[in-house]
Amino acid sequence: MQSQRTAIEELVYRSCLALDEKNFKAYLDLCDADYRYSITAHSPEIRKEMIWLDHDKAGMQLLFTNLPRHNSDHSPLTRHVTVYTVDFDASQQQATVISALQVFRTTLDGGVTELFAVGRYVDAVKLSESAPKLLKRVVKLDTRQFGFGYHIPF
Amino acid sequence: MSKNAALWHQQPKFPPSHFVDSRIYTDEQLFNEEREKIFNKCWIIACHESEVPNAFDYRTFSHPGGTPLIVVRGEDKQVRSFYNVCPHRGNTLLYDPVGNAKRITCIFHAWSFDTKGNCVDITREEQGFQKRFCKTDSGLREVRAEVGFGGFVWVNIDDNACTLNEYIGDSLNMLHDNMSMPLEVFHYHKAIVNTNYKLWHDTNSEFYHDYMHYFNRVTGMLQPGYFDRKYTAYPNGHATVGSMEVKYDAYEGGKSRGVGWPGLAPGGWILIDIFPAMTYNLRTSVLRMDTSIPLGPNKLLIEFRGLGLKSDTPEERAERIRDHNTIWGPFGRNLHEDLLGVHGQGRAMRPGSEPTWVIHGREENMTIHDEAGMRHFYAEWGRRMGRKAYDPFGERKITAAA
Repeated sequence: MQSQRTAIEELVYRSCLALDEKNFKAYLDLCDADYRYSITAHSPEIRKEMIWLDHDKAGMQLLFTNLPRHNSDHSPLTRHVTVYTVDFDASQQQATVISALQVFRTTLDGGVTELFAVGRYVDAVKLSESAPKLLKRVVKLDTRQFGFGYHIPF
Repeated sequence: MSKNAALWHQQPKFPPSHFVDSRIYTDEQLFNEEREKIFNKCWIIACHESEVPNAFDYRTFSHPGGTPLIVVRGEDKQVRSFYNVCPHRGNTLLYDPVGNAKRITCIFHAWSFDTKGNCVDITREEQGFQKRFCKTDSGLREVRAEVGFGGFVWVNIDDNACTLNEYIGDSLNMLHDNMSMPLEVFHYHKAIVNTNYKLWHDTNSEFYHDYMHYFNRVTGMLQPGYFDRKYTAYPNGHATVGSMEVKYDAYEGGKSRGVGWPGLAPGGWILIDIFPAMTYNLRTSVLRMDTSIPLGPNKLLIEFRGLGLKSDTPEERAERIRDHNTIWGPFGRNLHEDLLGVHGQGRAMRPGSEPTWVIHGREENMTIHDEAGMRHFYAEWGRRMGRKAYDPFGERKITAAA
């Protein structure tokens, strides 16, 4: 039987696989009904913490629903994650998970892969149900330049 | 009907003011001339005053003319700008993008300068220079700097340029009431794109490309009043397009906005392009400022800022940030599309590709899909460059009105 830590690690990894495959339903299935997703970055230039995206589960669903209506770069992204720490809070039946994140982009024409972004996932994982669920994800980005950008969150 | 080579190169059936030669986006010689004749002559936004709020705060700026600058607030609270270049051996004086320095000390040989540009210390001065050279010979090169028009810090390399007020003229009058209170930058990021700076400014100067934006189609183009917006051209190449009410709730997931912006109607939108490469874009609750720093004919660094009111409550600021991120943030709906568009232009018209014509021929009584904004820009570009945008090398046989 899986240890709780292994189950949590697998949850984080599965969330990456789902986004890599643009399987947004599978991604949202890994999330609790109270899920909150945000992307943050610190700007040394303006000496401020910035929020670049902030959605609840319904907001994420809308973002995914609207994607086909927009013009986007279609190069696939690959999210590489290493779970660093898992801290359990038995009283809350939650765990805080910190993972290193590297995102690579591979061009459709020629298949050149470039490092697109680095940062960390700081996840809150709900443990009260039969399988762990993502309750909150903060993507703390170190990278702040993405060229012409991308529509799908990390 | 498709075109053979002869037809492809044939002059478009417009007056010459209505098209340009694509080499103005790719030619290295023209790019170097632009740096000298345009960027080193015009007033350019370096940063916002809220980025240097305290005495001795500094901000570095990569001036599009090519010379790195420092913007620093002095003990007297005045904002000044200098070359970020040590007058001794040409080293960079300040390496970090921001900081606070009572003295600006070069790491190379420890020469020090105050925030007025005076040299205040030359290490082992007398031993090395005796009486031949001293601190008064070693001041920093000061650049004209003014704070204005929303609290932005403007710089001008040209000591003989007109004043900032003369340069801007009436072009920002439409925003006058909206920028009468202190503003604050809450968002900053950069993007480097393989494209020409003028193509980005073009994108900010025409709304016909709303067809690229699903968001703008449903919240703007399909709404009453959209086609009533009119262009106004101002001296020095600036232009604006009038306001409209954007129907944000027409975008699934959108909603009515509460926080708004002083003096702006709910859902309002005012866009003003300042020559050569700056855009004020006030939309609902956020002022976005684009400033372009061309790195080469086909390489552009764009700085994006989002601003709110300095007096914002945390709740108001949070709403502005949400509004900003929906369309203009790095993961926003519109920004990626706009950048993808100019990336595509840079890819198609890259240096070495066969020159082509780029058409600015739409005339719709100066309303929103008229391409008058771009035509006005290129008229000013031609005036400053001493060249014609449709024939930059004076080699084409262009008829006055085809």
